[in-house]
Amino acid sequence: MHRVFRPISILAGCAIMMLVTACNGIFDDIYDEASASSSVTTEGQLLVNAASWKDWYYVDFDSLQMYIERKDTAGLLKAQTNFTHYAIPTSLSSGSGDGKTGMYTYWFDVFGKGISVNEKRGFTATDAQPEPQSWSIAFHRNNVRTNGGAVLETKYTSLNELPKNSSYFLGATFQEDEWTENEVWEDQSQMLMSLIGCQGIRINKVLSSWLKIDIPPMPPAFTMNKHVFIVRLKNGKYAALQLENYIGTDGTKCWLTINYKYPY
Amino acid sequence: MTRKTIILSVLLSLTFEGMSADVPNDSIPQTIELDQVVVTGTRTPKLLANTPVLTKLITANDIMKTDATNLRDVLQQIIPGVEFSYAMNQQVHMNFSGFGGQSMLILVDGERLAGETMDDVDFTRIGMENVDHIEIVKGAASALYGSNAAGGVINIITKKKPNPCALNLNMRFGRHHEQRYGLSWQYARGKWNNLLTVNRNSSNNFNVHNGPNPITRVVSTIYGDAVWNFKEQLTYTLNEKLRLTGRAGYFYRQLVRTEEVPERYRDFTGGLRGTWTPDLFNSVDLSYAFDQYDKSDYQRITRLDIRDYSNVQNSLRLLYTHTFENENVLSVGADYMHDYLFNTNLEGRVRKQDSFDAFAQYDWNINKYWEVVGALRYDYFSDGHISRLTPKVSARYQPIRNLNVRLSYGMGFRAPTLKEKYYNFDMSGIWVVEGNPSLRPEVSQNFNASVDYTKGHYNFTVSAYCNKIENKIATGAPYYKSPSDIMPHLPYLNLNNYTVSGGEATAQARWTNGLTARLSYAYTNERLPKDKNSNAVNNQYIPARKHSMTGHVDWDHQWLKNYGTNIGLDGRFLSAVDNEEFVDYYDISKGIKNIHYPAYALFKLSLVQRISKAVKVSVVLDNIFNYKPEYYYLNCPLTDGTNLMIGMSVDVDKLF
Repeated sequence: MHRVFRPISILAGCAIMMLVTACNGIFDDIYDEASASSSVTTEGQLLVNAASWKDWYYVDFDSLQMYIERKDTAGLLKAQTNFTHYAIPTSLSSGSGDGKTGMYTYWFDVFGKGISVNEKRGFTATDAQPEPQSWSIAFHRNNVRTNGGAVLETKYTSLNELPKNSSYFLGATFQEDEWTENEVWEDQSQMLMSLIGCQGIRINKVLSSWLKIDIPPMPPAFTMNKHVFIVRLKNGKYAALQLENYIGTDGTKCWLTINYKYPY
Repeated sequence: MTRKTIILSVLLSLTFEGMSADVPNDSIPQTIELDQVVVTGTRTPKLLANTPVLTKLITANDIMKTDATNLRDVLQQIIPGVEFSYAMNQQVHMNFSGFGGQSMLILVDGERLAGETMDDVDFTRIGMENVDHIEIVKGAASALYGSNAAGGVINIITKKKPNPCALNLNMRFGRHHEQRYGLSWQYARGKWNNLLTVNRNSSNNFNVHNGPNPITRVVSTIYGDAVWNFKEQLTYTLNEKLRLTGRAGYFYRQLVRTEEVPERYRDFTGGLRGTWTPDLFNSVDLSYAFDQYDKSDYQRITRLDIRDYSNVQNSLRLLYTHTFENENVLSVGADYMHDYLFNTNLEGRVRKQDSFDAFAQYDWNINKYWEVVGALRYDYFSDGHISRLTPKVSARYQPIRNLNVRLSYGMGFRAPTLKEKYYNFDMSGIWVVEGNPSLRPEVSQNFNASVDYTKGHYNFTVSAYCNKIENKIATGAPYYKSPSDIMPHLPYLNLNNYTVSGGEATAQARWTNGLTARLSYAYTNERLPKDKNSNAVNNQYIPARKHSMTGHVDWDHQWLKNYGTNIGLDGRFLSAVDNEEFVDYYDISKGIKNIHYPAYALFKLSLVQRISKAVKVSVVLDNIFNYKPEYYYLNCPLTDGTNLMIGMSVDVDKLF
C-alpha cells in the first residue's frame, strides 16, 4: 500500500502547492504595465489625449516657449501634457445661425465601399466653435486645425534631419485650412445606423493626414504618417511637428505623442 | 462485453508496452461492433454501442479525413446543425443545434477551458494534433458536468496509448498564405510514456467584397491569425493499478486588426491526474487542472504588451466508481474550482469565485433489455451564493442486438458568469454593456429520444430533442437610464421562457471494397426569446438554421504494397434563416425588421496518396464550385473562392 499512497500523496501535494501559488495566474512578468497617467519627460514633445469625440484641444506654442525662456522645466513638461479643451457646440444658444456653422449628419458606407462614400442626411445649426484667445493648433482625434496657419508635409522622418531652419522651405506651397462637414466626427450615437454627426469646421487636411482612419475594416484601420510637417503660423513663425505615436499606454487611440520644434 | 471487460481492455490498452502506433478506428469498424469505449455520457467507460446516453463519436481517422486544424474545422464539417458565425466585432461564435458557446460545455479530457470571447472559448487553441477522438453528447448534462452543460458536452479525448517511438512531421499550404506545420513525438520507455505535440499555423488577413446595399451588417475583412500550440503529456504507469499523468501546454495566437496594435491571446495549461484501479470493481480518479487564458494588446510603437484580460481556473476533481457484482455501477464525485477573472472592462477589474459540487450516479442494468442511469448533482457558487440541484435520468432499451432505443430527461443550467454580473463596457460609444449582479441561473429541461441500429455494413441513428429554457441569460434591449444619458445601456437580463427543439438523422456505411459514406441531416427550431415583458431584445447572435446536412464519401484503395490512395468528397448544406433585428438600435419603438440570410452549400474534394507506410501527400480542393457569398453577413462561410491546399505528412519512425 505504501507504494500506492506515496505517488498519490506526491500528486496531492503538488496539486495543493500549485493551487495555492497559481490562484491569480502565472507569468505576469511577460506583460507590461499600463501606466496610470501619462506625461512627457522631455522638452519638445507634446502628449495630447485627443481621443474625445466631443472636444478640441488647443496648443499655444508661444506659451510653451515662455516656459523655456523662463527655464521653468517643470512647468513646461506639465504644459506639454495638459491642454485647454473646448467642447464642440451641439446647439444654438441664440438666433438662427449663419446656415453653415453647425452639426452635419452624414451617412457613411461603413459596411460597403467605405467611408469615402457618404451622403449628407441632415443639418442642425449650432454655435461657433469656442477657442482660447491665443492658440497655434488644435486637435480633435485625427483632425488638426491651425489658427490661420498653413502646413507643408516634408520628406523627413525625424526632426534631427531637418534643414537648419524654416527658410529652406520658403518657396514651398503651404496648405491652409479648408472647410469640411464630414471629417470631424462628433456624434457616434447613431453609429450602428452608419450615421455620424459631424462638425462643420475648417481643418488642415495636410496636417490631419498624419493619422488616417479607414473603414472598413472594422474596427477602423489607423495609418500613421511619420513625416515631419512644417506649420507656418499666423504670426509668421514656423513650427516643425512629427506624430510619434497615436496610442496611449492603455491602448486608447488618438492619444497623440507629438515631437515639435518651435520656433523653427 | 461486460463492464469489467471494458475496464480491463481500457487498462490493457493504456499499459501494454510495445504496442504499435495508434491505429485509429473509423466510426464504423469493419465488423460493425461499435466497440469504441466512450466516457462522456456517464463519466465511466462504456461501449459506444450500448452506452445509455447517445454519444456521437468522431474518431482520429474521421479527424484525419477532414484535414482539420482545430475543433471548429472538425465540427462544422462533420456535425450537422453546427454553425460558426461572427458576433459583434468578428468574434467567432458557435451555434450547436440552437445552443451557443456558453451552453455547450467544451472539455479536454474532462477538464474545462478558461477564457471566453463573446461567450465562446477560443476554438483555435483546441488543435487536433494530439486528439485521439471526440465525444459529443447532446442534451442537458449538468447532472454530471454542472454549469454550462445545458445543450450538451463536447469532450476532446487526447491520445494516451503508449508508443515506443513515433515521430510525425506534417505541413500544409493553402490560399492567403495559409501555412500549417505540425510535430508529434511519442516516446515510451519502461513505465514512462511521453507525448509532445507542436503546431504552428498562420494565414493572412484578406478583404472580401460585398454587393450594393446590404440589408444588415457585413464584414469586409476576414482576419487570419498566427498560432503556436505546444502540448506535453507525461504518463507514469506504476503498475496495472496506478497511473499518474502530468501535462503542460502553451498556446499563443496573434491577430492583427490594427497594424500597430496586434491582439495577442495566450494560454498556459497544466494538470496532474492520478488513476488508481485497485481491482476490477473500484476506481478512483483524482485530478488537478490549471488553465490561464490571457488577452493582451501589443503596442508596436512603444513595444508594450498590455494585458487587459486574464481568466485563471484552478480545479480539483475526485471521482470514485464502484462496480457491483451484477454490473451495476455507482459513481460519486466532487469538484472544486477557483475562478479568477481580470478584465479592464469589469467593475472593480478583478472578480473571484469559488465553486463546489458533489454528485452521484447509479447505473442500473435491470435485465438484458433495459438499463437505467440516474444522476443527481449539487452545485454551489460563492458569488451570490447560488446553488442548484440537478437531476438526470437516462434509459436504454435493447430489444434485439444492435438496436438501441434511448430516452432521457435531464436538467441543464448555466450559472451567470462573473462577466455577466459585473461587466461595464463602453462599446465604441454605441452603448454601455452593463453587468447585472442579480442574474438568476439559466435553467433548461431537456427531453431526448433516439434510436440507433446497426446491420452489416450500415448504421442508422435517428434522434429528437426538446429543450424548455427558463431565464436565459443574454443582453436585453438598449435603454436610457436617464434623459441626460448620452449613450444607452445594454443590460444583461434573464429572458422569457423559450424552446429549442430538433432532431437529427445519420446514415453511415462502410463496405469492404474500401468505400465509406456518411450522410447526416439536422433540424433545429430555435426561436429567440424576448424579455420578461415580451419586448424584443438585442440578440447578439443569429439563430440556428432550420435545416442542415453534412455528407462524406471516400474510397480507399491500396494499389501496390507501397502505394495507396484515398479520394474523399465532403459537403455541407445550411438552409436560409430569418432573424428579427431592430430597425433602429437607438429607437426600438420603430420596431423590428426581418432579415433573411441566404442558404449555402460547400463541397471539398481531397486526394491523399500514401507512399510506403511513412509518407502521405494530400491535395485538397476546398469550395470546389468556387462559391462566393454576394454579401459577407456575419453567418456567411469565410471563403472567397476555391482554395487549393497541398500537404505532406511523414512518419519518420516508419521511414527506416
